[in-house]
Amino acid sequence: MTRDFATATILKTGPGTSIQDLGRRNSSNFGVPVSGAMDQRSLLWVNHLLQNQETDAVIEISQPGFIIEFDSPTQISLAGAQAKVKLNGIEIKNPSQISIRIHDQLEIGAFTVGARLYLGIRHGFQTPKILESRSFFHQVTERSQLSAGEKVTYFSDSRWISSHNAKVIWSTEWFQTNAIAVFPGPDFGLLDRIVGDKLFKDTFGISNLTNRMGIQLSELLENSLPELPTNPVFPGTVQLTSGGKLIILLRDAQVTGGYPRILQLDEESQWIIAQKRTGDRIRFKLISP
Amino acid sequence: MEVNPHYTLISPLIGELKWDETPSDGLLSRQLGWMDFLKKELLEQITEVKLGFTTLSICWKITENQRLFQNQIKRLKVSNRELSSRIWELQVCYDLEFGKDLDSLAMFHRMTIPELIKMHSSQAYRLHFFGFLPGFMYLNGLPEQLHTPRKSIPDRSVEAGSVAIGGAHTGIYPIESPGGWHVIGRCPLVMFDPHSSPPVWAEPGDLIKFEQIDADKMKKLLLLPPTPTSR
Repeated sequence: MTRDFATATILKTGPGTSIQDLGRRNSSNFGVPVSGAMDQRSLLWVNHLLQNQETDAVIEISQPGFIIEFDSPTQISLAGAQAKVKLNGIEIKNPSQISIRIHDQLEIGAFTVGARLYLGIRHGFQTPKILESRSFFHQVTERSQLSAGEKVTYFSDSRWISSHNAKVIWSTEWFQTNAIAVFPGPDFGLLDRIVGDKLFKDTFGISNLTNRMGIQLSELLENSLPELPTNPVFPGTVQLTSGGKLIILLRDAQVTGGYPRILQLDEESQWIIAQKRTGDRIRFKLISP
Repeated sequence: MEVNPHYTLISPLIGELKWDETPSDGLLSRQLGWMDFLKKELLEQITEVKLGFTTLSICWKITENQRLFQNQIKRLKVSNRELSSRIWELQVCYDLEFGKDLDSLAMFHRMTIPELIKMHSSQAYRLHFFGFLPGFMYLNGLPEQLHTPRKSIPDRSVEAGSVAIGGAHTGIYPIESPGGWHVIGRCPLVMFDPHSSPPVWAEPGDLIKFEQIDADKMKKLLLLPPTPTSR
């Protein structure tokens, strides 16, 4: 197996493009968020197709208008959102497995379904590991996002041949549901009956206050809950503020919080909600842990 | 005899021990006792243990172990950890140049600025945990006369090193960030360095004291941040 360093150059990108892996699991005691891919099902899928390690790093793209050029042969895989994908100007129908030759340019156009697309590469992207992870997070990694002109290192690999059926197709059906499965959060018991009923009867919209730290829902939920002593929160924790805002914490969220933690999304639902866009509607479905 | 905490399941792999009392040295010593117990007895089953003011959350590798722990908890005998006697002395410049909310805060509490500074710097604060930002210390022990509601509209940017008061707590912003606490001074130390292992120098249970320095000394220290020292 050849393992020569190679370089991919970002020629064009919108904001919010970053390197992500499974995240930092051992640093929350220092106040460091977990980070990692917002939709880990898609991250694991591309790494699986490329026969990578689960912990290998990918590029997370959340805006159309992304172009990358590779200076050496390799194999790449796309999953997550569905988008218009072109290789050297020619549209690719199934981007699950793409062979890359010298100076190939990959272009991501309009997203047709979903909000985040994952670009995996054979052996993973090789940015520095800080606190055991390559996931970008400002204050921890040098860069917080990838901009046009920046270069990312990978290993060239011209001999690898996939053992998977070349016709394997990425389906987006799994995230096209509005049902978000939640466990009762540690402070769920503080909710009164009326608020509790509303939480599961109503649907809620994804507002435009949405980023890797979390998603604020559009509707307010009037309540009389107190502020609480600051305690740990997790990706998937739903906080209810005294002003009635519902905030779903995600990968880059702070590690502790003082708002009541009323719900906790199950893992699969965290990947589903990562693919929702502003204006999409969701419904909470209570399950027991 | 102390009653063991409740255990609440948060998800199949996350749960938390919870104590129904206000944060205190006594509670922290019990929380740290449980942390030591978990890390000693169940290390193989656990991915992470996280402290809060009144909880200790546990992330498990598999759900069966969490269930087993939940069923056994009443029978477990866990001893407290004696709190550390390590005291970190942090130099702070309380000049108006660095403490932009000193004026308004002193007015709010009907005291003079020197009185406020004296009250803030004569106390030893207990470090409970890190949260909010990488390297941000949650400190307990702010004199009640200095408790202050957070700003209703947070400042867009608070400088790194800012020493501030919010609610019943005081803290130091490790990095530039938006923030809703009242800024009363600045500390020249590096609070968080992702390239060090560990990236912070203090530990939960340690004590933190603030020592007032003048603006001249502060300007020198800002150019060459000192290494934190403890005794």
